[in-house]
Amino acid sequence: MDFSSILPVTIGAILLAGLYATMSYGLALIYGVMRIVNLAHAGVIMLAAYTTLWLYTSFKLEPYLAPLIVVPLYFLLGMGMQRLIVRRIAGAAPIVSLLLLFAIWLIMQNLAYVIWTGNTQSILRPYTTRSIQIEALDLTIGWLRLGVFVAGLLTLIALQFFLSRTYLGKAIRATTQDRDSARLVGVDVEQISMIAFGIGIALSALAGSLFAMILPFNPDFGRVLMLKSFAIIVIGGLTSFVGIAAGALLLALAEEWSVGVLGLQTSLKDLVSFSALVLVLILLPNGLPALIGRMPSWRNKPTRSVSPVGSASPTGGGPK
Amino acid sequence: MALLEVRGIDVFYGEVQALWGVSFTVERGEIVTLIGSNGAGKTTTIKTVSGILTPASGTIEFDGQRIDRLPAHKVVGYGIAQIPEGRRLWPEMSVQENLELGAYAGEARGKRNETLKRVYELFPRLYERRGQAAGTMSGGEQQMCAIGRGLMSLPKLLMLDEPSLGLSPILVAEMFNIVREINSNGVTVLLVEQNVRHALELASRAYVLETGRLVLSGAAHELLNNPQVQSAYLGF
Repeated sequence: MDFSSILPVTIGAILLAGLYATMSYGLALIYGVMRIVNLAHAGVIMLAAYTTLWLYTSFKLEPYLAPLIVVPLYFLLGMGMQRLIVRRIAGAAPIVSLLLLFAIWLIMQNLAYVIWTGNTQSILRPYTTRSIQIEALDLTIGWLRLGVFVAGLLTLIALQFFLSRTYLGKAIRATTQDRDSARLVGVDVEQISMIAFGIGIALSALAGSLFAMILPFNPDFGRVLMLKSFAIIVIGGLTSFVGIAAGALLLALAEEWSVGVLGLQTSLKDLVSFSALVLVLILLPNGLPALIGRMPSWRNKPTRSVSPVGSASPTGGGPK
Repeated sequence: MALLEVRGIDVFYGEVQALWGVSFTVERGEIVTLIGSNGAGKTTTIKTVSGILTPASGTIEFDGQRIDRLPAHKVVGYGIAQIPEGRRLWPEMSVQENLELGAYAGEARGKRNETLKRVYELFPRLYERRGQAAGTMSGGEQQMCAIGRGLMSLPKLLMLDEPSLGLSPILVAEMFNIVREINSNGVTVLLVEQNVRHALELASRAYVLETGRLVLSGAAHELLNNPQVQSAYLGF
């Protein structure tokens, strides 16, 4: 036990959680709209990391600017993938899409071995190790970690704005919540699926590009991150954005605390994440929102107290 | 020319045939009801009109145009709104978001704000609840919201699938009054109901479906006195 490290470890966990949330939203968005689990998620994270490296080595593009290219590029790639491949298996049994996307991941991974070999790469820039010192609190925060967190946070704010304020974003939410009802009001759900898949892939790629700046990577990079994304979206209740943010924070805290405060070996850190996944699946299969939903006093009280169910006349009384 | 003209449609779920040569018409301004027991094919019929299902053969014309090969998201732009069985709102979106998305297609989007005002006048309760998540309202309120969402697309034809399902008797009567009011504002209505008495009292004409085939049709008040209908659906 090392209590003096609680503050820095917690701050480190929060910074990590921003990135965890970014990578998980992509998975959740695709699951929400299409009800398929994107097993190619890991491959996209890995390829985006290599794309960031390649943009730097070939074009001298600073890695922190890479997302400006990576995000639109992978958005188009994702839409193409949906249009040409994933759409063809719409309506098939879940195992079909799982195997298909798993195969796509393996192809991506093997392509990466061919192109970049299996050597571990990292992107080192003069600013990679620069950090801020806050002496009063005895804190050191890496600039890159902070920057990556801010980038993730801004993305999530933009995404939330897009989904709650624009017609297209609302159509995506409507398709997630009831596909046939969306069709009945005129939403082209095929087009929405393509756009959502593109956004989902772009978010995974953004996470990959940001991770590439702070972690070393090889063609197997992304596998563990994908499994953590699964844990996060399950904790978050699969489609709730706030739930996913909470899930990302919980997982990052559990990981960082177990090592930094409780003194677990670093090599066992992933054990914590996957134990959390197993525990959540068994104890809370519908995630945090279900837990909150089971406490009606939190959510339904204002409604119920105004109108007891069934006794109110929905149209009576008002001016005609 | 009839507003809706359905001619000899056959509809399948995979290998299983659900409708056999169903034909019927709805004239402008009418209230027509499709009645029949569970599994008779009423919902299948209106889902085929709205484009959720595609007929294997037969034609559907609306306002003089063929619509039977169009996907659902295009059909709504022609002026057909389907209020699905069980409301089917977007439960986590607010009442107002549900209504606004009803005006997603075609010209309705530009007129969204005026239409919304009129829907709120018709359903003052929805205005009170506009910020609330639709899934947290009572069944009756959800049905109002579903009808409101349908009206937001400025339909010429409103198709309601079991609007009285799960509502208390007082609310059922009110629901039928609302349908009458909507119709008196110039919207043609195709009503699917298991509440046969109410439906026949409201409608001008009716069609009876049995196991995927039309077996009877006529003026609603005549069917109300038809011994066959009385014994099968009205419990005489």
